[in-house]
Amino acid sequence: MNNALLAPAHVDELKAIVVSEKSVLPVGNRTKAPLSAGSDGTLISLCSLCGIVEYEPSEFTFTARAGTPVAEIRTALAEKCQYLPFDPLLVETGATIGGTVAAGLSGPGRFRYGGIRDFVLGVRFVSGDGQLIRAGGKVVKNAAGFDIPKFLVGSMGRLGVMTELTFKVFPKPQATITLQVLCDSHGQALERMATAASSRWELDAIDYRPDAHAIFLRLAGPQRACAAIAGEIRTTWGEDVSEPPEPSAFWQSVGELKWSANGTTAVKVPTTPQQFIALQDSLAGHAQITVHGSVAGNVAWILLDTSASLSALDTQLQSMEIPGLVVRGSGDQRAVGTWKSPAIQQAVQTAMDPAGKFSTL
Amino acid sequence: MTTLDGLASIFPPTRLVRDAAFQAAFASDGLTAFRTKPLAVVFPETKQEVIAAVQWCRDKRIPFVARGSGTSLSGGSLPVADGIVIALNRLNKILSLNPAERIAVVEPGVVNLHISNAAAAHGLYYAPDPSSQSICTIGGNVAFNSGGVHCLKYGMTSNHVLGCEAVLATGEVVTLGSSSVESVGPDYTGLFCGSEGLFGIALEVTLRLLPKPEMFHTVLVGYNSLQAAGDAVSAVIDAGLLPGALEIMDALAIEAAEAAVACGYPPGAAAVLIVELEGPQEKIQYEREQLDEVLRETHPFAQRVARDEADRLFIWKGRKSAFSAVGRLCPDFIVQDGVVPRKRLGEALVRIEQLSTEAGIRVANVFHAGDGNLHPLIMFDGKETGALERAEELAAKLLRLCIEMGGSITGEHGIGMEKRAFLPEMFDAPTIALMDRVRRAFDPELIANPGKMFPGKEAESLSLSGLHPLEKAGVISRE
Repeated sequence: MNNALLAPAHVDELKAIVVSEKSVLPVGNRTKAPLSAGSDGTLISLCSLCGIVEYEPSEFTFTARAGTPVAEIRTALAEKCQYLPFDPLLVETGATIGGTVAAGLSGPGRFRYGGIRDFVLGVRFVSGDGQLIRAGGKVVKNAAGFDIPKFLVGSMGRLGVMTELTFKVFPKPQATITLQVLCDSHGQALERMATAASSRWELDAIDYRPDAHAIFLRLAGPQRACAAIAGEIRTTWGEDVSEPPEPSAFWQSVGELKWSANGTTAVKVPTTPQQFIALQDSLAGHAQITVHGSVAGNVAWILLDTSASLSALDTQLQSMEIPGLVVRGSGDQRAVGTWKSPAIQQAVQTAMDPAGKFSTL
Repeated sequence: MTTLDGLASIFPPTRLVRDAAFQAAFASDGLTAFRTKPLAVVFPETKQEVIAAVQWCRDKRIPFVARGSGTSLSGGSLPVADGIVIALNRLNKILSLNPAERIAVVEPGVVNLHISNAAAAHGLYYAPDPSSQSICTIGGNVAFNSGGVHCLKYGMTSNHVLGCEAVLATGEVVTLGSSSVESVGPDYTGLFCGSEGLFGIALEVTLRLLPKPEMFHTVLVGYNSLQAAGDAVSAVIDAGLLPGALEIMDALAIEAAEAAVACGYPPGAAAVLIVELEGPQEKIQYEREQLDEVLRETHPFAQRVARDEADRLFIWKGRKSAFSAVGRLCPDFIVQDGVVPRKRLGEALVRIEQLSTEAGIRVANVFHAGDGNLHPLIMFDGKETGALERAEELAAKLLRLCIEMGGSITGEHGIGMEKRAFLPEMFDAPTIALMDRVRRAFDPELIANPGKMFPGKEAESLSLSGLHPLEKAGVISRE
């Protein structure tokens, strides 16, 4: 499918490759294979450009090369009782920090403080004309120049080859408690998620597993505060509330997109809570498709196995006029449903990549 | 008059104004050191009128500057002499507010605080809170990615914007983002926020609302030195606390605030620190014990906790009025918003003091200490020959200090007119060239807010000085 894979050892080598190759596409550990499938460009692996460059716990910031595995970053942060609050996905699978930005993926923790777009502060990347660009900054607050770091979130390697990223981090909560709340119907689940999201409880994550008829609430903070708030939630919804047997396994199954026996293909669909329920209802007849709702109904994660299932999902998303991104799967297709690119897209892509080295988005 | 012919068919005479009084009223914004009279000011009442005005500008190649309440501190809404001002104040409707999904869709002329007021009935609020929030508008907040005192924990405006509909300088109308907090594909909403009006004008903005914190715990702490206050900030952060706000004011700023609003800060303090924790009461009960312990070790000479909401607002009143209060100590001042790494705050303050002494210019300091965001207020008297130039020279040194320390020339006010000469010191040539190409993709004719952000000779303006009239009246204050 792809005929070349180069792995530059330093930025100058990367710049030379971008200049000399006709067409390029950066990849990390390829944990999200569809994002780089079907390209005829030379693949550039960022895996040799790895390692944490700077980590200042007292600044709440770190800088790492794009090919750094998120697992390595997570460990380094944990040693100083800090974390990435947006819950990066596919960490155990081997995701790199650059790939996580390029794919624009955040996990359940996104609910509380925002997604990966809200934590990326600065980026270095090689543009299509082989120049090293330094956008954003290394401090937690910065309003100078266009917010190119945010723009590269979700760019799928088609706007530049990221080499280094700076992030904001937060102190890690001392403890977490997860509660499972059984619901009679999707309507009740929707109502309860809205109640929980607007409550004084300051929840860390609100996810929904429609086939289990259960919402999952994660509390994070001092142990005794979490326990007290958990008590109030139990009082609110009585016998519907319980503690799931293995909460960390549950959240990990979400984070690795592996909560179902099927799921060789995984699709991200941004939704409003109403759209989430509509989508869930429309897919309920497909036994091969399982849906998980994250961020209080703002993302549908969909697992399936066959191309027929993917095609059914595609049709459904098109009828709802919403987009989906295939992040795992064996095919070439990465976009399903309806993607509405702004009219300006081609002009902006040309501005970012005047030499036309990257394939279009 | 002929040049405005087509425009007159879009706007009735009462909403297309070019008399001298209006031109003067719109000649400057929160950065009063610059004034430029626009060709005309238009007051659209619908988004169709905004689109028509922009398309007219495109056809005639006439520059336009979008303006809300004109509170920009970087000269972001300074008019262009041969251009028109599109005043968006009449597009001030909250189009929808969905408490279940916690989002609001608003027009660009909606005042920041009005959103929180409308959301309050549902226990929600809009988090970004620039000090001018009682008057500044969302359109301007989006254009300049405005900050406030809660940025460390909640981020800037951009972190709360889910999407927007905008008319670009090309006259095209685009929809960026959606009503979901998540998205796929490049983050155009993120790129649009903070583009300083160089891409076009937001017509409708979709915002994320948050539940109001149940409880606040606000502590006012007095220190004998600025250094001790700076060290206290590090101690709080190192303890693993994440306060909603961490603010410091120095002696001069305290003196000014005291004179202006009698805020009752500890007498004789060289610096005060305001720490505010927020969240569910169970969490706050625990965290306040932690905070007490940390603060005890920082040797404050005075400390008090807000007794109730009124007392909390009273403590904040001193801080929020600091900028306009400094206006009482001197006829004019320049305020900057450079950022330094938090651990170098103490060092930065010492350097600012040295530079201030060397220049013989008084500088008061108020800052968002939690995120290293300085706000030196450089005082001068514009009537003295060369005083503005000397103040600007000192301001330039402070900006370079921020760059040197690995920070930024602006944390929240934007580059605007004021700091455009420093963009090349913050970013290298290839980076600026790329930003310039991106700008031209949105605005090939360079008609959208020209003269801002990028260095150069576009849109020269007459330099004057003075406190903003609204600041003098105490209506607005500078962050």
